[in-house]
Amino acid sequence: MQESNKPDLDDSLNVTESHDRMLREAAAVSREKHVDEGGREPVSLWIFASCAVIFIFAGLALGNIGSLGSLFDYDQTVKPGYVRLDLSEDGAQGPPPAEALAVYIKKGQKIYSSKCQGCHGGDGKGGPAYPSLAGSEWALGETQRFSMIILGGLMGPSSSGKDYGVMPSQKAGMTAVDLAGVMTYVRNSFGNEAGDVITEEMAAHALKLAEERSDPNQPLSKDELDEKYLAPLEGEPLDPTMMIDPVSLQPVEGAAG
Amino acid sequence: MSAPSDSPDDIRLRSEIDRSLRHPVMFFFTSGAAWLAVAILLGIISSAKVHSPGFWDSCPWMTYGRVQPAHETALVYGWGCQAAFGMIIWLMSRLSRQPCRNAGTILMAGHVWNLALSLGVIGILAGGGTGMPWMEMPSFAWIPMLLSYIAITIWSMVQFKVRPQGHTYISQWYLMAALIWFPWFFGSAHFLVHGFSGSPLGAAGVNAWFHSAMLLLFFAPVAIGMAYYLVPKVTGRPVYNYALSLIGFWSLAIIAPWAGLQKLTGAPIPNFLPYLGAFAAILFAVPAAVAGINLLKTAAADGETVNVSPTLRFTVWGLVFLLALGAASLLLNSPGIATVTQFTIANYGFDVLGVYGFFSFVAFGAIYFIVPRITRREWLSRRLIKWHFFVSIYGVISIVVVTLFGALMQGVAQETTYDSLWYNASSTVYPYAVLNTVAWCFLLISNFFFFIHLTLMWLRLGRRSSHPTLLVHRHSGSPHGPEGDIDNTGTASAH
Amino acid sequence: MSFRLFAIGLTASFGLAWLSVVVVPFFKLRTPSPVSFQEGVDEKEGIYHPKRAGRVVNGAAVYAANGCYQCHTQVVRPTYAGMDLARPDVGGLSPTIHPDGIDSRRESNVFDYSGLDFAMIGNTRVGPDLMNLVPRIEARIRQQAKDSQEGDLAEGVVAGRVADYLYKHLYNPRLFPQLYWSSCPSMPFLFEEREIMGQPSDDALDVPVEDGWEVVPGDKADALVSYLLSLRHDDPVPAAMDYAPPAATDGPQG
Repeated sequence: MQESNKPDLDDSLNVTESHDRMLREAAAVSREKHVDEGGREPVSLWIFASCAVIFIFAGLALGNIGSLGSLFDYDQTVKPGYVRLDLSEDGAQGPPPAEALAVYIKKGQKIYSSKCQGCHGGDGKGGPAYPSLAGSEWALGETQRFSMIILGGLMGPSSSGKDYGVMPSQKAGMTAVDLAGVMTYVRNSFGNEAGDVITEEMAAHALKLAEERSDPNQPLSKDELDEKYLAPLEGEPLDPTMMIDPVSLQPVEGAAG
Repeated sequence: MSAPSDSPDDIRLRSEIDRSLRHPVMFFFTSGAAWLAVAILLGIISSAKVHSPGFWDSCPWMTYGRVQPAHETALVYGWGCQAAFGMIIWLMSRLSRQPCRNAGTILMAGHVWNLALSLGVIGILAGGGTGMPWMEMPSFAWIPMLLSYIAITIWSMVQFKVRPQGHTYISQWYLMAALIWFPWFFGSAHFLVHGFSGSPLGAAGVNAWFHSAMLLLFFAPVAIGMAYYLVPKVTGRPVYNYALSLIGFWSLAIIAPWAGLQKLTGAPIPNFLPYLGAFAAILFAVPAAVAGINLLKTAAADGETVNVSPTLRFTVWGLVFLLALGAASLLLNSPGIATVTQFTIANYGFDVLGVYGFFSFVAFGAIYFIVPRITRREWLSRRLIKWHFFVSIYGVISIVVVTLFGALMQGVAQETTYDSLWYNASSTVYPYAVLNTVAWCFLLISNFFFFIHLTLMWLRLGRRSSHPTLLVHRHSGSPHGPEGDIDNTGTASAH
Repeated sequence: MSFRLFAIGLTASFGLAWLSVVVVPFFKLRTPSPVSFQEGVDEKEGIYHPKRAGRVVNGAAVYAANGCYQCHTQVVRPTYAGMDLARPDVGGLSPTIHPDGIDSRRESNVFDYSGLDFAMIGNTRVGPDLMNLVPRIEARIRQQAKDSQEGDLAEGVVAGRVADYLYKHLYNPRLFPQLYWSSCPSMPFLFEEREIMGQPSDDALDVPVEDGWEVVPGDKADALVSYLLSLRHDDPVPAAMDYAPPAATDGPQG
C-alpha cells in the first residue's frame, strides 16, 4: 500500500485506492477553502479618519517646497527666497581685536587683488604699460590726491612723468571701507612705509569729493590734481597700533596691545 | 461563502500545481532561510561594532563599513528576494490555475541568482563595494541578477496571460505589478548609475529612489498580494470590502513611484524633489492602511482561526507591521521630525520594519502555508513554530522600537547641541546599539528554529498526516474541518 | 479591471514618476549651468569652478568600499532643512575659530561634488559631517598650538599635521585620548607594519608599535587621505549662490 521510500509515485492501477491516497496525501490541499473576495462590508470609518490625517501630514510636507511654482523647476536647488538664518553665536566676541593698521591692510589686500592687481601687478611694480605703485610719489603723498586718482581715474603723465594712457575710474562698487583699506594697503606695502591708516571717515570724505566734481566721469589730469587736491583727507587720525574690532572697525576698550 | 469541500478535479489541479513547483519553491525558501541566517549573523557583528569598535578590528573583511552593507545585501537580496520569488511563482501558478512547466529553468536561474549574490557579498566584504546604499554589490552582479530574475518570473507572467476566463483576483494584480515594476526600477537604476558618469548628485538621487522602490514597489506588493490570498483562504471568510482592495492597489501604484528622494533633503538637488518624495512617502500610509485594515477586519471576523493557525498568526502580525510601517513613514517624513531624524539610525529601523517586520512575517506565514502543500507533509513540531513566532516578534519589535526611539534621541542631540565636540551628538547612539545587538541575537535564535524546521521539511521528514500542525492542540472542532487521520494509514476518509 | 486598463494605468503611473524624479533630474544634474562671479559684487572673477587637488577618484573608491558613508555624511543643509550651519565647524568655520576672523560657513552646492561619479551624501551621522573636514582639523591644530604656547604655525606645518592626524585616525581613532568614545573602526589593514631599515621612514605613523618596527601607510591609506584632504568646501561663492543674511557690518563675505 504505502511506499514509504517513493511517496510521490502513484503506482496503483486501482482507481479507488489511488484516489483515496491522493486525497490523503493531498490532505492539506483538499481541506483548502476557496478564496472569497466579494465582501461588501461598509468601508470602516477608521479608514476615512486615518486617510484624513495622512493627507494633512502629506500636505504639510509638500508645503515645504516653498511655493507651488517651484514644483518641477529643475533649476532651483534651494527653496525660493531662502536666506540663511542669522547664526552668530550667542555671546560670541567675533574675531579678536587686532591692530588698526593690520586690519585695514588685510581688507585692502582683498580689494587690491580684485581691482588693482590685474594692471599694477601683485608686487605693485606695474610694468611697461602700467605705473609702479612701489615708491610712487602720488601714492605716498597727499591722501586727497591719491584717493581722487582711484575714484576718478587718471589721464596723461603719472608722477614719474611718463604717460601711460588712461587709468579707468575704480569708483564703481567701492565703499568707504574698501577705499580706506586699499589706500592703506598700497601706502604700506610693496616697500612703501607711510605708516598711517586711512580711516573709513577719511574715505567717506574722498567719496564726497568725487561726487562734487564738476565732471565726475572724466579722468583727472596731473594739473587738476595739483590744482585742487593737494591736501589731506578730512578725518580723525587713527593710531596705527590701536586695537580695533576687525568687523566694526571701532576701537576696542581696554584691549591689550 | 466558503465551500466546505471541493471537487476532486480542483484538488487534483491544486495538487498537480504544487507538485510541479516543489523543487523551485523549496529551493527559494530554504536558500532564502540560509541567507537569512547569514544576514542575521552579519547583523550581529555589525551592530556589535557600533558599541564595541575594538571587536575583531584587525580583520579587513569584518570592518563595520563592509559588514553592514553585506548584512543589508544578504537580508534584502538573499532572504527577501528569494522568499518573494518562491511566493510569486507559487501564488501566480495557483491563481492562474496553471501548473509550472519550467521548474528546471527556474531552479537553474535561482542558482545563478545565488551565485551572483554570493560573489557580490564576498565582493563587498573583500573591499569592492560601490558605496551606494542597497546597491553596494560590485558592478558585475546586477546584470546576472536581472537576467536570472527574468528567467524566474517570465513564466509567471505567461501563466497570468493564459489564466482561465473570469474574475482576476486582487493578488494577481499585485503580483503582476511587482513583476513589471522590479525589472523596470532595478534595471534602470543600475543602468543609470553604472552606465553614466559625471552626475554625482543625480546618481545619489537615483540610488535613494531605488532604495524606496525596493521596499514599496517590490516587497510591499508581493507581501500584500500574498496576504490577500492567505487571510481569506485560511479563515474561509470573504475579504472585508472588495472596492477597498482595488483602491489600495491603485493608491500604491500611483503614490509609491514618487517616494525615495526625501533621503536627500537639503542636498543641492532640485528643491522640489525631496519634498515631493516626503509627500509620497507620507501618502504611502494610505495603501498600507487600506490593505492592512481591509485584511485585519477580514481576519478579525474569525479570531479563533488566527490564534490557531501558524499561517494566520504570522500573516496577521505582518499586516500589523504593515500598519506600523505606514505610520512610521508618516511620522519620519513629517516636516518637523524629518529634519531631526534624517541622518539617524531611523533609516535602518524603518528598513528593518519593512523587510523583517512586514515582509518577512507575511513570508513566514506563506511558507508555513505553502511548504506542507508542496512537500505533502505537515510541520513537525508545534513548539518549533511557536518559538519561531514569539522570539521573532520580540526581536523585531525590539529592533524597531529601539532604533526609532534611539533615532529621535540621536537626532535631537544632533540638531540642538551646537558645540564643536561631536561627542554629545554621537554618544546617544551607544545604548541603542547594544540593545540592537541583543535583538539581532534573538532573531538568530528564532531563525535557528525556523531553519531547522524548514530543512527537515525539505528533507521530507515532515509528518505524514492529514491533520495540520496548529498552534493550539485541539481534540475536536478543528477549524480546518473534521479530524483527518493522524498518520495516513488510510482508514479514515479525508473529508 | 481588464488587463489593458491595468497595463495602461501601471505604465502611466510609474512612467510619469520615473521620468520626472529619476531620469530627468539625473541628466539635468549631469550638466549644471555654470555660475559666474559678478564683477563689482564678488571679489573673484570668472566662473565658479572649485577644483579638487589630489587623488580624488581613487580615494573616493576606498572611502566607498570601506563604508565610511554609513556613519559620515557629506552635505551641509540649508537652515530650513537642518541646523548644520549652527555648528561652528561643519559648514565652514565660524568667526571665533576662523584664522581670518570671518564666517566661512555655507551650504553645499552642486559644484562641491564635481569630479566624482557618486556623491557620498551618506546615511547617518554617527560621526561628524565631513564636508569641511580639513578646515575643522586645521582649526583644532591651530588651537592646540596656541594652547601649548607654540604660537602661530605656518601653512605648511598645519597641512603636515592635518595629514598626520588623518593617518593616525584611520589607523585607530581611539589612540587620540580625546576620541576615547569614538566608534569609528580602526583600519590597520590599510597600513603596513614593517621593520625599520636603517632610518625610520618619513611617513611612519606616531602609533604604538614594537621596538624596531614602524607603521607606514599603504597605497589605499594614501589614496584615502588624499581624498580626505580635498574635503574643504568653505570657499566664497558667487553672489547668485550666496544666501548669507544681509550683513549689518562688513563681516561675512559676499
